[in-house]
Amino acid sequence: MSEARNYRTDVSPIWCPGCGNLALLNALTTKVLPTLGIPRHQALIVSGIGCSSRIPAYIDTYGFNSLHGRAVVIAQGAKLARPELTVVAIGGDGDFFSIGAGHLPHAVRRNIDITCIMVNNFVYALTKGQTSPTTPYLQRGEGPFLSLQFYPPVDPVLDMVSYSVSTKASFIAQGISTDPAHLAWLITEAVRHKGFSFVNVLTPCATFDPPWLFKRIKERASYLKEGEPVGLPESSTEQPWLHDSTNITLALKLAQTPVLEKPHIGIIFRGSQQ
Amino acid sequence: MRNRLTIGIAGAGGDGVVVLGSLLQELAAFRGYFSQMSRYYGPQIRGGASGAKLSLDAACARIPGDIVDLLVCFNWEKYVELQRELPIGNDSVVIYDSASPGASIALPRRRFAVPFSNTSKETTNSTSAKNIVALGLLSKMLDLPTDSLKAATLDREALAILQKDAPALNAGKHLLSEIDFPDLRLSPPTDPSVKVILHGNSAIAQAAIRAGCRAFFGYPITPAAEIMQEMQERLSQDNGVFLQAEDEIAALGMALGASLTGAKAMTATSGPGLDLMTEMIGLASSAEIPVVIADVQRCGPATGIPSKSEQSDLNHAIYGGHGDAPRVIIVPYDMEGCYRLIIESFNISEEYQVPVILLSDQWLAQTTVATTSHFLSRDYPLMERKRPALDYRGQYQRYEMTKGYVSPMASVGDERFTYQATGLAHDEKGRPSFDFANNQRMHEKRWHKLAALRDRDEFTKVFGREDVRRGIVTPGSSAQFVLETVEELGLQDKIKVCIPELIYPLPHKLADFVASLDKLQIVEMSYSAQFYHYLRSQIDLPSDTRVYARAGGLPLAISELSAPILELTR
Repeated sequence: MSEARNYRTDVSPIWCPGCGNLALLNALTTKVLPTLGIPRHQALIVSGIGCSSRIPAYIDTYGFNSLHGRAVVIAQGAKLARPELTVVAIGGDGDFFSIGAGHLPHAVRRNIDITCIMVNNFVYALTKGQTSPTTPYLQRGEGPFLSLQFYPPVDPVLDMVSYSVSTKASFIAQGISTDPAHLAWLITEAVRHKGFSFVNVLTPCATFDPPWLFKRIKERASYLKEGEPVGLPESSTEQPWLHDSTNITLALKLAQTPVLEKPHIGIIFRGSQQ
Repeated sequence: MRNRLTIGIAGAGGDGVVVLGSLLQELAAFRGYFSQMSRYYGPQIRGGASGAKLSLDAACARIPGDIVDLLVCFNWEKYVELQRELPIGNDSVVIYDSASPGASIALPRRRFAVPFSNTSKETTNSTSAKNIVALGLLSKMLDLPTDSLKAATLDREALAILQKDAPALNAGKHLLSEIDFPDLRLSPPTDPSVKVILHGNSAIAQAAIRAGCRAFFGYPITPAAEIMQEMQERLSQDNGVFLQAEDEIAALGMALGASLTGAKAMTATSGPGLDLMTEMIGLASSAEIPVVIADVQRCGPATGIPSKSEQSDLNHAIYGGHGDAPRVIIVPYDMEGCYRLIIESFNISEEYQVPVILLSDQWLAQTTVATTSHFLSRDYPLMERKRPALDYRGQYQRYEMTKGYVSPMASVGDERFTYQATGLAHDEKGRPSFDFANNQRMHEKRWHKLAALRDRDEFTKVFGREDVRRGIVTPGSSAQFVLETVEELGLQDKIKVCIPELIYPLPHKLADFVASLDKLQIVEMSYSAQFYHYLRSQIDLPSDTRVYARAGGLPLAISELSAPILELTR
């Protein structure tokens, strides 16, 4: 690989072996940035706080590991002041969907041309395993979901994909970190999209998620292909329809499928560009 | 003939109180008079009490006197709410719209019921021009011809009102024509040039543009919203970046994002907004990102009194946030200071890569001042942040240790200087480091780089004779009231006054001033005397130190400051 294409810094990641963040880092530095051919000085990666938010230190572009929940606002300020930059905000599920949730609908409605990558590992991992807004909901008596917790998560899940569809983000995709090549393609498309793009990355937390979680997600994952029938949960009585990523109504139907029953991997919605 | 005249105007919101005051101020400014007009209003948009206090002056723009020489009242019920702001004396002249005041208000000998509403109705078919009728009358009483109004730099809206209501204006001139008020006439202005009219909020916005501000992010809040509105107008004409954010956290966050790319960026807010910005102030301090925050203080805590002045954000501005996060605190004391010091705030934030908080207050922000335009035409040197040299060799280190502790800062987008910044403790390259020795050194860097500011003598204003050993230290708008009181009491040779415009870090000149005193009086508008406690925490104060500190909600008055200031001479 030529020097110009080497987007890694010499800083070693703090992540656990088997962490999905490693796949994301690889996808960004060896596929997305080289494919897009973005000069390193023309890219800015802003993150919040959490495991995934350590990523800017590992990528040799401009980077800013900022505050919990605030990556998306700093990213917008930078993009507005210097529109020629490629600006990517990266954070976790707690970051974007709990403490920073108030910023997202506004980023969506402004439709500023930045890409928001949410690394969803269903848990607050850096603080050692508390429930996040995306931790699967369990009935009382089902026992704890996370390895260090005694109680089951009892609040319903805030589904990030249906949320971003309902606020009409102009590009919405869901990737999975166990398929880095496909993930890299999704992020590349998201960055190319002129307008606010949101990519939800299903990511295993090797330390705190129960092993069955990702096993189930992988088993049930269904790839969305333009013009082909969509996968539906076994319990669904509906006829599968042909995937049309330009149709917001169909996108909403996809988004309403609980992620543990049928995770849709691919471009869920692609609206008109700026 | 007199050199100075204080006019009070009272009514209900919608009576046109502020419009009348503003037009009168314009009229006088065109003739060369200096003036200050403060505004008093409550929480209601329409229908609440609305007051204005306008002091016209032949020689300089001074604060309005305590007692109004002339009161125009449209509504006695509302006047009762404003009585403390607009008190009348035995020699005052009161003109009021026909309805009589209740027995609770003692009126002076010279009081006149004038049919403002009826005259308005007769001439324009509506009572809404009663303020213009009053303008006609006042122009006659004070010998301020209205033909100059057209030539004055009126905004379009005001001009439209005057054209529409010309019959009301003329009819007003014929009211009370049988009575002469020679004692209300002002002597000719010492400098007849037309005066410019600006309030502190407007001065901040105009000077920010002058300083090179290219990006503004804000969230509406009383009494700072005018800064945002004016920046919106100016930046959109000028191809800059303006955005109304979803909250104050986002506003300051976006400003930091813009600043990272090299743009001079700012936000403006009031106390409750500063609360929300606190985490971002710590981030800017830690990651050494230049940014300017104008905080227009209002009464706190919590929601407090949004439309009234106080000086109680000082602790928050200096200390707000966890950890040791140095920042710079600048405090103007008059409108020209708002202009000059927002430019200095940008200069300091760029030069030292530090968040600068400029503490204005509602009084400064919304009191319109008519004065000479020298401060607008003056030359203000502008500072730019230190950038890495183009022939920079080796690996760029964002937080490189230098002699002055300020490191060259590349802008995001600059070729060859990519770096990764973080709010984590970091090393010279900007990389996360949890090493104690490095952490200690980086704290030293961020604190020591500001030390040079302590030698900037120009930020400490001293009035009075140097050899005097009794003095007052008073920050912000309180200083105007102190200076006025000292002058009124004729104590200029017995007491010296120090006004600190740079509060943090503490200037040597301020410390020297305090060290030169046997007796010190501190005057501030904060119930818990925040400024006094701050000063005491930094330097030794004379054993004979007194504090005049009270809550906001009512502007300071010469009458209340006289006793503590006289006491200082004993």
